[in-house]
Amino acid sequence: MTQGKSGKRSIRKWLGGSVLLALPMWALAVAVPGEKAPAFTEVDAAGETRSLEDYAGQWLVLEWFNKDCPYVRKHYGSGNMQALQKKYTDKDINWLTVISSAKGKQGYLEPAQALDVAESHNLNASAPFLLDADGSMGRAYGAKTTPHMFIINPEGVVVYAGAIDDNDSANPAVIPDSNNFVAAALDASLAGKAVGTASSRAYGCSVKY
Amino acid sequence: MSHKSLIGIVVAVFLWALTCGSGAVAAQETAQGDHVQVRWLAPEQFESGRETIGFYFEVDPGWHVYWRNAGDSGAAPRFDFVAASGEVGDIQWPLPVRLPIEHLTNLGYEGNVVYLFPVTPDASRMEIVVNLEWLVCKVDCIPGYGSMSLSRPVADAVQWSPGERALRDRFAARVPQPLAVQDSSSMSWRVAGVSAAPEGDSLQLVIDTGDAEAEFSPPEVFPLDGGFLTAKAPQVEKTGDVVRYTFQRVPGAVVPPSTGFVISDGSSAWQLDELEIQAAAASEPLASGSGQPLWLLLLAAIAGGAILNLMPCVFPVLSIKLLGLIGPQGEASGRLHEGLRYAAGVLVTFAALGALLLILRAGGAAIGWGFQLQSAPVVLGLILLFWVMALSFSGLYEFGHHLMNLAGRSRGGAFATGVLAVFVAAPCTGPFMGAALGAATLLPAYGAMAIFLGLGVGLALPFVLLCAFPALLNRLPAPGQWMETLRQLLAFPLYATVIWLLWVLGRLVGESGWLIGTLLMLAVVFAFWLGRHGFRGSRWIAWGLVLAALVASFGAAHRLQASGSGSGSGQGAQGAAAQSAAGWRPYDRNAIGQALARGQGVFIDYTAAWCITCQVNKKLVLESEGVEALFRAHDVYLVRADWTDQDPEITRALAELGRNSVPVYAWYAPGERTPVLLPQILQADMIEALFAAGK
Repeated sequence: MTQGKSGKRSIRKWLGGSVLLALPMWALAVAVPGEKAPAFTEVDAAGETRSLEDYAGQWLVLEWFNKDCPYVRKHYGSGNMQALQKKYTDKDINWLTVISSAKGKQGYLEPAQALDVAESHNLNASAPFLLDADGSMGRAYGAKTTPHMFIINPEGVVVYAGAIDDNDSANPAVIPDSNNFVAAALDASLAGKAVGTASSRAYGCSVKY
Repeated sequence: MSHKSLIGIVVAVFLWALTCGSGAVAAQETAQGDHVQVRWLAPEQFESGRETIGFYFEVDPGWHVYWRNAGDSGAAPRFDFVAASGEVGDIQWPLPVRLPIEHLTNLGYEGNVVYLFPVTPDASRMEIVVNLEWLVCKVDCIPGYGSMSLSRPVADAVQWSPGERALRDRFAARVPQPLAVQDSSSMSWRVAGVSAAPEGDSLQLVIDTGDAEAEFSPPEVFPLDGGFLTAKAPQVEKTGDVVRYTFQRVPGAVVPPSTGFVISDGSSAWQLDELEIQAAAASEPLASGSGQPLWLLLLAAIAGGAILNLMPCVFPVLSIKLLGLIGPQGEASGRLHEGLRYAAGVLVTFAALGALLLILRAGGAAIGWGFQLQSAPVVLGLILLFWVMALSFSGLYEFGHHLMNLAGRSRGGAFATGVLAVFVAAPCTGPFMGAALGAATLLPAYGAMAIFLGLGVGLALPFVLLCAFPALLNRLPAPGQWMETLRQLLAFPLYATVIWLLWVLGRLVGESGWLIGTLLMLAVVFAFWLGRHGFRGSRWIAWGLVLAALVASFGAAHRLQASGSGSGSGQGAQGAAAQSAAGWRPYDRNAIGQALARGQGVFIDYTAAWCITCQVNKKLVLESEGVEALFRAHDVYLVRADWTDQDPEITRALAELGRNSVPVYAWYAPGERTPVLLPQILQADMIEALFAAGK
């Protein structure tokens, strides 16, 4: 946990007389729309390391996942999430689905289990689940709920943070009539327009850190 | 668990699908789900007028359902009226409580609750068909669905069963009243202002209670818009008759033109809709109304700066300067110039720091006071400086023509002394500085800069006064042999400062910090010795040695800190282990939340190795036998939030308290969610008073 922060720490040196002065800088550890996305390095279920730098110059969607959360089920049971993943990964947008459940908590998956769940859920993300069992990535992003969604632009700036859509019902039947914030933000961004809604209350289950 | 909830969902979805498909026929008077029973709370017989009825949610212990703004997670129940033989009004939500769920805060109800709504029948029977959806959570959440119908006669008189009516009335009393209806009569407070800086991350709500004398706990406030404000309990500051609430905004949320709150005095509640949010100038409504006007903050800043003069880490620098003034070359006219140069040095440095803080603030970064001493190379540099000065004071080396030129009599010297004074003063935040700087991070740019300059004025003032009024100086004894003695005496605070800085370095980079620091000191002394014994080439060797020692030690210090976790957090972990042995636990937001949820008292010591005030308080008060026994006797959950390595979690916690420096002492009385902040200079009787008041 400390490694990531000290890496970010940039020290400005100023020499005055014989006194060395330095003022370290760091960003607040939450992903905020309009600000740089926090760095992350996590291993996915297939054993490959994924970090924010790998996606420099590309669009990246982050999605927090817990297979036992009713709100995740709402969007996976209905096929809504997989359809979004398919639609945007086909447009060369990267999509990472993150599990931040701690070992022993609801939604925690060992790598082999995670691969099975990816299979059974028809996950269409760019990688099998990122396994963030220590919660470092989730905390760095301030991920509160499943599904909590973040969109990061090619410059590494967060352009959207919040819920997947505007209807916090757990009932899949409301999906067709919901306003999907993630799709709207991605469509606007790809069309070169500003994102209309850059932040919303992330509804769902608490992330089980 | 998951299996059971899955069945629950399947059953609920099935029921829901069934009722949707077949309309009102399948609906019944009650609805069930995992951990929840819902039934009507309605009269046996309606009259033709308006009647408030409700849905009674009976929830298993430990589980809860939600308010209209569910908070950080969760969801409010939904009531979809399919049909009604009359007019159905909006749902009325009884006042919620804050529910800490692990790392989040939800707004909802502990135990059973009634969601109320008014109906006005317009037929001979009151018929209602409604589809419900709710979410019930403990830590895990289970959605529930149901459909309910009501069919009761309408006659000339309403008939309730007394128990049902009492239940209805009990919850109706907890429904916030719209403010327009009761105006100023029933609510004794007035909203003095709502403000949010567009680029900030908080919102301030200021309430004028109109009675400075009354001893009351500040009213509780809940935000209506969960997409704009987080559900976390706001930071509450009470000044006279004004209570100021600072809410955290949802990161990145756009500030709407207006927002709403529900406010409660414990027995009654009111709803404040569409309060206009004043932009940028967060301080404006306050400055005019009351609270903390800018001039008061400025005064506090000046006073805080003046107190800095007395702090042990500034004193050595001032003593050097004072020595220069009373030296044989000191002349009356020169003194004022010296004093003003010193003041200029102080002010320029504070202005630069203020500008830096503003730039960083604008860039969205957070910065706290005292960070200068969180960088190992800086600490090492100060060790070197003070070591060389101390040696000089002790008479090992004459500094009259060397480093004294920097911190001594020359033109640049007075200015440089001023610069130096600011940097060594930084870690010793005086009692006033914390609040002033906290305000500076919230104030508009000109206000923040004024605070910084105020601190500078305060720091420079006593010195300038001494220079401006030579009469004061003349009271000092005439120069003589005693000066030599005094100079040697003044070396000892410098040695002490070196020891303290070595300890700070040790905390920053681990045990090797001591080694690096003392080796550098040894090299410097050896170089002096070489330089004084002028054999051939010895000066060159001395310079080479110093240069090599500087490169090696600064390189090592920087590398050690950059590699960070290695020795740094190792040291931290050791510290943590030692702390838990003494009953103090390291900062853990979740653990603190759980302790609060258990109703345990929590005491948080926000501290850092480089903060002298913190160390003094720790040794003299917090770890004294009496206070420790007191904490033990009252089963207080003790937390030591060590900010030495600028942990962002702790930075955030400090920001939530409206502070950006340490020490801060936060006391959560058992069952309280709002902390009391203790003064920065602690006394044992202040701790005793906490428990005396609590009992």
